[in-house]
Parts: sequence; structure tokens; C-alpha cells
Amino acid sequence: MKRLQFAALIGMGLILVGAGIARQPEAQAEGSATIKGSIHFSGTAPTREPVKMNADPVCQQQHSSPVLSEEAAVVGPEGELKNVFVHVKSGASPAASAPTQPVTLDQNGCWYTPHVFGIQANQPLEIVNSDATLHNVNAKPTTNQPFNIAQPVKGMKTTKKFTKPEIMVKFKCNVHPWMSAYAGVVNHPYFAVSDEQGAFSITGLPAGTYELEAWHEKFGTQTQTLTVAEGETKQTEWSFRAQ
Amino acid sequence: MAFFLALFVCGAAGDSDAAEPPKVDLQVGKAAYQRYCARCHGVLGAGDGVDAKRFYPRPRDLTLGIYKFRSTVSGTPPTDEDIYHILAEGLPGTNMPDWKHLSEETRWQLVYYLKSLSPAFNENPPQPVEVAADPGPKHADIKKGRALYEQLGCAACHGSSGRANGSSAAGLVDDWGLPIRSADLTQGWSYRGGANPRSVMLRFLTGIDGTGMPSYSGAISPEDAWHLAYYVETLQEKANWNLIAHPMAVEGPLPTTVEDPRWDSVRRTDIRLRHVVDNNGTWVSAPTVKALVLQSMYNKETIAFRLTWNDPTEDAVETVDSVALLLKTPQSQGDMLSLQTWPYDGSPVLDICLWSAKTKEAVEAVAAGFKAVGTAAVRSQRESQAEYKDGQWRLVIQRPIEPPASERASALSQKGLTAIGFAVWDGAYSSTRAVSPWVELDLRNNVKSDE
Repeated sequence: MKRLQFAALIGMGLILVGAGIARQPEAQAEGSATIKGSIHFSGTAPTREPVKMNADPVCQQQHSSPVLSEEAAVVGPEGELKNVFVHVKSGASPAASAPTQPVTLDQNGCWYTPHVFGIQANQPLEIVNSDATLHNVNAKPTTNQPFNIAQPVKGMKTTKKFTKPEIMVKFKCNVHPWMSAYAGVVNHPYFAVSDEQGAFSITGLPAGTYELEAWHEKFGTQTQTLTVAEGETKQTEWSFRAQ
Repeated sequence: MAFFLALFVCGAAGDSDAAEPPKVDLQVGKAAYQRYCARCHGVLGAGDGVDAKRFYPRPRDLTLGIYKFRSTVSGTPPTDEDIYHILAEGLPGTNMPDWKHLSEETRWQLVYYLKSLSPAFNENPPQPVEVAADPGPKHADIKKGRALYEQLGCAACHGSSGRANGSSAAGLVDDWGLPIRSADLTQGWSYRGGANPRSVMLRFLTGIDGTGMPSYSGAISPEDAWHLAYYVETLQEKANWNLIAHPMAVEGPLPTTVEDPRWDSVRRTDIRLRHVVDNNGTWVSAPTVKALVLQSMYNKETIAFRLTWNDPTEDAVETVDSVALLLKTPQSQGDMLSLQTWPYDGSPVLDICLWSAKTKEAVEAVAAGFKAVGTAAVRSQRESQAEYKDGQWRLVIQRPIEPPASERASALSQKGLTAIGFAVWDGAYSSTRAVSPWVELDLRNNVKSDE
């Protein structure tokens, strides 16, 4: 009975999300300028050790090869730095309303996906458990309201919101202490997370002068100020080193 | 409505106060705080009072507004009545006493003052969780509760039998980065927020903020939370706390195994164990072994003890689980030594019987410290048998009542009381040990059993 209820909830959730996408192209960005960036790490990258998941067989069974720890510092062969959260710190006006389409934080294979993500204040955050084991989602904001909720059943979804901007909100799972994720909560759509090439792109900016901040879990924050004209694309370079 | 709900929760917990809360007077609250609370919680409420670091768990940092035991949604502050309830009842298993001797007026003023220490109370209003009516023990569905316990993953931390031995139990830390343990659900007396079904039901629904215990609100219906709570109540073992133990006199041979059915008819004596704090007055790990159950039988020559204690992990290879039975010697009689401080420089010798999970043997020596047992002239090995099962050790160990004079060992009195003490090591945290107070063995009045 319980499972049926959950299945129904998931079904409803999907329909709602689907409807959200169809109805609303979320034309939040107001301009046509783009800021691209390339983020590199110099120095010796932290060694990534295999995570011991033997405490929970459900977790272990989902991975044919060991998962590497320190997702906090994923560095490519040329020093490309993944998982840097870049956002316009000042110069952008707050969005009139938050998107209704949720951002999804998935727990899959006892791992948070994504590890770092951006979300707007008051935008729904859909937290999903794709694992057939208990996860607790222990969110530790300092400006927003914290929560620690249990998701014991596969397929369970919980929707939460952060109402105020906050860089960054940490998530952890006490049942599986290797799990962590970070959300950058901002009040406009001008943010991005660097990919495996260390690249990011913030689009749709109105012409203007902006202070950009790049945050990395292990290597701290950096800022750059730059001016873009309507239709312009500017490339930025960022370099982090071990602190 | 919120107020009504909270009051209902509080009232039903047996803490009903018909009188209206008084008008806020922060000066009165502050004066009471400085007098009664600051020693542990710190002058400014940061949980850093002079005694704080000796305590497990630590005194609460009141400036963060994170309260563990609430009737409210995870992440929201407690209601006034929640805080009042903690002041009135204390927190079992911690150093937080009840403050019943303070007037209701003072307690309410303390509530107001505590709230003024944290901005959390202004930022988010308390939101009481939705609770269902108590089905009562007759209508609670224990079977359903047991199924929920499994489905909801409670065993991940609390263990399948509730002995805090789940696979995620080790390595838990609280929001302050300090090591903590999940509750041993068989030890109802150790539940900080209270062991009655209502308290337990609220813990599921609200979570315990600042710890790994999440809120199951949304994952479990308010009605099911009651079934689960009544199931958890069945896990609680009734403790018979006593500092005098009455061994059972029997004719003929004594039991040599932990499974001997005769143990079932021997009265249990529960003894609280406390971690020895280190030289800096701090604890390095969260206590895992918190109590020991003593049962004993004796005949004319020999006494047999069955010791039972919960330890989340069996450690028998490198750092090992072990237990020591301690008797005073003729040189160390009297009440001068606490096992909390023993041994110390120049401390008197004790008669030590030390059992190790590695050797599965007990050795005895009269020594001035535990380490010395290995090097002291060890007497005959005593008959023992042990078993580790699902978070629990059981050990049977025998000893002569009056050892031969050549052993220079302590005898047990059959005419008066004999003090016996215990020290228990959890091999997973072998840098510290848990010790008992002295317990008096009474071999005078052949009490058979409770039944």
C-alpha cells in the first residue's frame, strides 16, 4: 500500500514537472551577452581514494568499480577544474520571480548527483532517492532554514525551497558519510558550474558591469569584474591553487 | 492552533501547567540563567561553560537555536512549551537535570531568556509537526511497527535488535563535529528525549536536529509513527538498577556457559558504567558501553558470574574488547577509591580478574593497575565462556569464594558484603574504558530469585 502511494506520488510528480516544462520556457534571462570561462588548477591535485561502501551492501552492489572520493577536487589531465560554482555576485538585478521548474538533486548509487549545483531562491528543489536504501538529507544552510529528512524508500521525492541567497548550502547523508553536495542559492539566473573541461558559460546577461565569483569547495573563492555589451561573448580565465 | 497543539503535546507528557505563562522579563530570566545554567552552557550561552568539555553529550550551544527535542518540523525552533518541558523534566542520560525545584515563573522566564540568545527564534517560527491521536497500547499495531522499523532503515544506525550496532553507527558526528552514537534502543533509560511512546513518536516525526537522526515526517504517516513508537517500546529492556547484588545460592555444580537455562531464573542487577575521562578532562569518543548486567550464582566453594553488556562491535584481534572484575584487597578496604580515578600514582593494589576477547581467557593478579596484570605474577586461569551476538557480549566466569591462601587473592565474605567493581573496554575505542561504581555482593541470604 505504502509503495503504491509512493508510486502514485512519483507519477504525479512527473506529470507536474512535465507540465512545468511544457507551459513555461522560463524566459528569465533578459539580455544577450555571454560570459564564458575556463578554470584551471595549478599544483598537485589531491589524490582520489576509492570510497569504502561496504557498510551498506545496497550501495556497494550498484558500482562495478570503486567510486573515487574527493569529488571536491576533480582535476583533468591539463588541470581542468570541475565543480566550480560561478555566479554573478553583484551587478545583476534580482529576478522578479523564481522558476517553477524544479532543480533535481538525485541520490543514486549512494552518491549525490550533481555534486555542485545552482538554484534560485524560492525555486523548488526536488530531492530524489533512486536507491533502495535509507538516505537522510541533512541540509546545513546558515542563512536559510536547515532540515534533516529521511528518505527510506526508493523513488521517494521531497520538494524543498531555500528562500534567501546563500553561497553555499551543504548537504550530507549521515547514513553514508562519504556523500556530500553543495548548492549555490542566488536570486537571479546568472550562474553556472564548471564541467570536466573546466568550462562554464553564463548566458542571457543584459549589457553591464558584473562582479563574478567562482567558488570551489576545497580551493576557496575568487572574483573578477568585467563589462559586457549586448550580444557580446567574453572569455574569462580562472586559476585555482591548493590552499 | 499551533499553540494548542504544542500545549497538548506538553500536557500529555505529564507536565501540565494550568497557569498562564508569566509576562516576559528578560532580566529575571538572565539572573536565573547566570545562576543555574551558565556553569555548563557558558556565560553567553555558547555551550562552553567551565565543565562543558567533560560532558557527553556536550551542553547545548544555545546561541544556534538548534534544539534536539522538539515537537516542531525539522529545522524550525522549538515551541516555548518544548523548552519548558526540557527544563521541567531534564534530559535523561545526560548531565542536564530537571529544574522542578525552580518556580514555574522562573522556568518560564528562563525559557524567554534562552530564546533571546539565538536569532533563530525570530527568523523561523516554530511549526508543530502533525501528530495523530495516541492509539494506546491496546490498539497499537506492534507487528506493523516492526515492519516499519525494517522498511524505514532504522537498523542502519540503531541495529536490527536496537543495540546501536547498525553499519552506519560508528563514525557519526553531530553538527559541532563531535563524535556521537545512535541511541541503544534496548536501553530506554538512555533516550535523551524520553522513552515513552509519545516522546519516541515525536522523535521520528521531528528528527533530532544537530544529529544524524532525520525527520520521518512525509516518509511515515502520523498514525504509523505511533505503531513504530510502540514497537520501539518493546525493544526496551527493564533495568533493575541496584548497588547491592544478591547472588543466588545453589547446591551442586555452577553453570559454565552463558546459555545455561538456570541463568533465566537469576535476578539481574543493572550497573551503570561511565567512561573514564582523560587527563585533560575531555572524552575522545562517544561512550558505547554504558551499562552492565550482573547475575551470579554460588555454591559452597565457587561463585559464577554472568556479565552481559552491549558493545556495538566485536573486537577480538588488535584492540580488543575486555572486561575486568575488581575486588578490594585487605590493603585497599574502605571507601577511599573510585574506579574513575584508579589507578593513580601510589594507588593501592586491587584483585583484578581480566578477561579478553582475544584470548577468550581470564587471568587474575593482584596489581596496582590494569597494565600490570600482564606482567604481575598471574594466578590460575579461571573457567570462563563467552559469546558475542548482535551487539551484545555475554560472559560466564567462575571464581573461588575463598581462594587458597597461597594465591594471596581476595576472598568473598559470606557473613557481610563484598565490594566488587567492573571495568569494560570497547576495543574499537580502546583508549578509554567504562567503569562501574562499587557494587556490594550479598552472599548472606540465599535469595533464590524474583519469581
